[in-house]
Amino acid sequence: MSQRIVVDPVTRIEGHLRVDVEVDGGRVKNAWSSGQMFRGIEEILKGRDPRDAWLFTQRFCGVCTTVHAIASVRTVENALNLDVPMNAQYIRNLIVGAHAMHDHIVHFYHLSALDWVDVVSALKADPAKTSALAESLSPWPHNGTAVLRSVQDRLKGFVEAGQLGIFANGYWGHPAMKLPPEVNLLAVSHYLQALEYQRKVNKVVALLGSKTPNIQNLAVGGVANAINLDNEATLNMTKLYFVKEALDEIQQFVEQVYFPDVCAVGALYADWLPYGAGVKNYLAVPDFPLDEKGTQFDLPGGTIMNGDLGTVKEIKSFRDEYFKANVTESIARAWYDGDWEKHPFDEDTVPKYGKWEDDGKYSWVKAPRFQGRPMQVGPLAQVLVGLALKHEPTVRWGTKALETIGAVAKTKVGPEILHSTLGRHAARMIRTCMIAEITQKHWKLLVENIGKGDTEIFRKPEFPSGEQRGYGFHEAPRGTLSHWIVIKDGKIANYQAVVPSTWNAGPRDAKGQVGPYEASLIGNPVADAGRPLEVLRTIHSFDPCLACAIHTLDVEGNEIGRVRLA
Amino acid sequence: MAGSGEDEEAEVRVLGLGNVLMGDDAAGPWVVEHLRAGYEIGAGASLTDVGTPGLDLVPHIGGARVVVLVDTVKSTGSAGELRLFRKDEILKHPPGPRTSPHDPGVKETLLYLDMAGSGPGEVLLVGIVPGRVEKGLGLTSAVAAAIPAAAEAVVDELRRVGIAVEKREAAVPARPWWAGEDEAAT
Repeated sequence: MSQRIVVDPVTRIEGHLRVDVEVDGGRVKNAWSSGQMFRGIEEILKGRDPRDAWLFTQRFCGVCTTVHAIASVRTVENALNLDVPMNAQYIRNLIVGAHAMHDHIVHFYHLSALDWVDVVSALKADPAKTSALAESLSPWPHNGTAVLRSVQDRLKGFVEAGQLGIFANGYWGHPAMKLPPEVNLLAVSHYLQALEYQRKVNKVVALLGSKTPNIQNLAVGGVANAINLDNEATLNMTKLYFVKEALDEIQQFVEQVYFPDVCAVGALYADWLPYGAGVKNYLAVPDFPLDEKGTQFDLPGGTIMNGDLGTVKEIKSFRDEYFKANVTESIARAWYDGDWEKHPFDEDTVPKYGKWEDDGKYSWVKAPRFQGRPMQVGPLAQVLVGLALKHEPTVRWGTKALETIGAVAKTKVGPEILHSTLGRHAARMIRTCMIAEITQKHWKLLVENIGKGDTEIFRKPEFPSGEQRGYGFHEAPRGTLSHWIVIKDGKIANYQAVVPSTWNAGPRDAKGQVGPYEASLIGNPVADAGRPLEVLRTIHSFDPCLACAIHTLDVEGNEIGRVRLA
Repeated sequence: MAGSGEDEEAEVRVLGLGNVLMGDDAAGPWVVEHLRAGYEIGAGASLTDVGTPGLDLVPHIGGARVVVLVDTVKSTGSAGELRLFRKDEILKHPPGPRTSPHDPGVKETLLYLDMAGSGPGEVLLVGIVPGRVEKGLGLTSAVAAAIPAAAEAVVDELRRVGIAVEKREAAVPARPWWAGEDEAAT
């Protein structure tokens, strides 16, 4: 007899991700992923000046602000065939690189690690043994016995006072929690240290972007960071060295803490490696452009179909026709008027709310498709494309990660393990290691370019009369983000954002093809239907990001439990 | 440093939360704009429109002595009513489990920072009950009318914790970039 579990965390937010799973014999038999709020924020842009679009798009989402800003300026530049100066490319790259590292670190430690780490078990750990274990894995200087004992004491204080606070809602003692106490303690310690890195990265973005969380330095045609090495108020060497110092510290954390932690979790949960693959069509776009036009990049993009790396097809430039021609969105199973599948240039957004129907419409999220297929996006897609294209940094970091996982698990593992829930975490970490190197490289390129006497930062956009169409993409922390614009006589006539979480969290389409979240859940084990930790593990591994638009703090109300059995 | 700027090192920080594209959810950012336009705020305090950063609130709150949050709150009562909360009231109900980084993150951020040992000593939440929260620019009239009173609540708190605040004599009304053509809060 199958049982339905609804994971619906509508507590403080109107509209959110809801996941329904049908469990039979301890396994997920069927799954539905639903966005519970109508967005359609793009409508606000119609009739506005395309040069202002990025200011509005960066408010689509409070967390992914910079990614929507970058995608938007690239989109308008694409429509106008406008290349941007190298200084602007490098400064943008440094901002998105810092943002991405920050986002990946926060995702692992603060949004998903507690699916695998049992905080309460850390109280039983021996700090000296923990330190010895940590020092065998990494040269990180903050893994000493004294540091770990102090973390454990603080944790003990919180538990004894009955104030587990931020940890109050974890599934402690769940049968699927398997790490030894020492590893749990180490993870809690790094969880707290990771908070500090948020502040360091934030300073990089604030310094280059003039402000956080909503940057102010962008412009269609370049950036607004005046460069003058002799002027205190502009971008000068003092500020650039400040950025360098922060990048050095972040790189050390990524390589000495994030890398070994993910490898250890992957190895110690080796029994989980077969779960969570889902849709094995992958899409990533290239990023970190190295030239004005965007034809050379430091991270590669492309598509892979059916999990076969041999099918890789590269996406090569900001004007790539393969990408441009093949993206559509389907509303067959989403609460919009009609059942069409259309190209973003031709879409409209006319909401038509109905009730939830398993076999009908059940989500506010449209279902993006590439050549009619559902695609998984995110760091895993980019890493697999990199491996398929023999991209040197991907191969180097990927090999190192697999060797480390194999060494801890005492078994040999290959790239096939990446098609999984844990593989998404590993790929995110591999991507972060690459970005730590790339931001260093682009810092150097920026300084050298300025050193040559190039201080150009901006080219003025000109809007001819008539219609122009453009698209822009950015490989955001959660995956491929694209914006699409139709400009008529200098004003926005249509604007669509196809965001990473719609690729992954989107519903079925007219052909009944399930989306990546849904596919990844089918077959997952569920030990305790009242505490579906395993479902959360797989959903969290995608780094979901749906309730982009709104929040209202609920201080007075009682929190509602997130899980219902229906 | 002058109080009207955005200084992540300031010991007293005023943070406006909310999404300016979602109707009354813009109330927090509006109050920040209103304070900038209408008041001279002395050294030691900063004003920031932080949007809806979720857990990215950490650097904006960490290390501060006093934090004043301005946000819409879910509450009984009619649109435009103000509700003030201190830290222990904000944390009375534990946060729900997170599935995405987008939850408001206020409770989580305060708890994280306490655990890490860099939480603020004092927190005041100036809550505004919203009327219409859906896609679109502009506040409902009830919430627009509440902006000056919410700003005054922030000013009272700043003065209480030792920050000098003067009302500008010839203040130009706030008119942030997202505001509609006919919208200028008082």
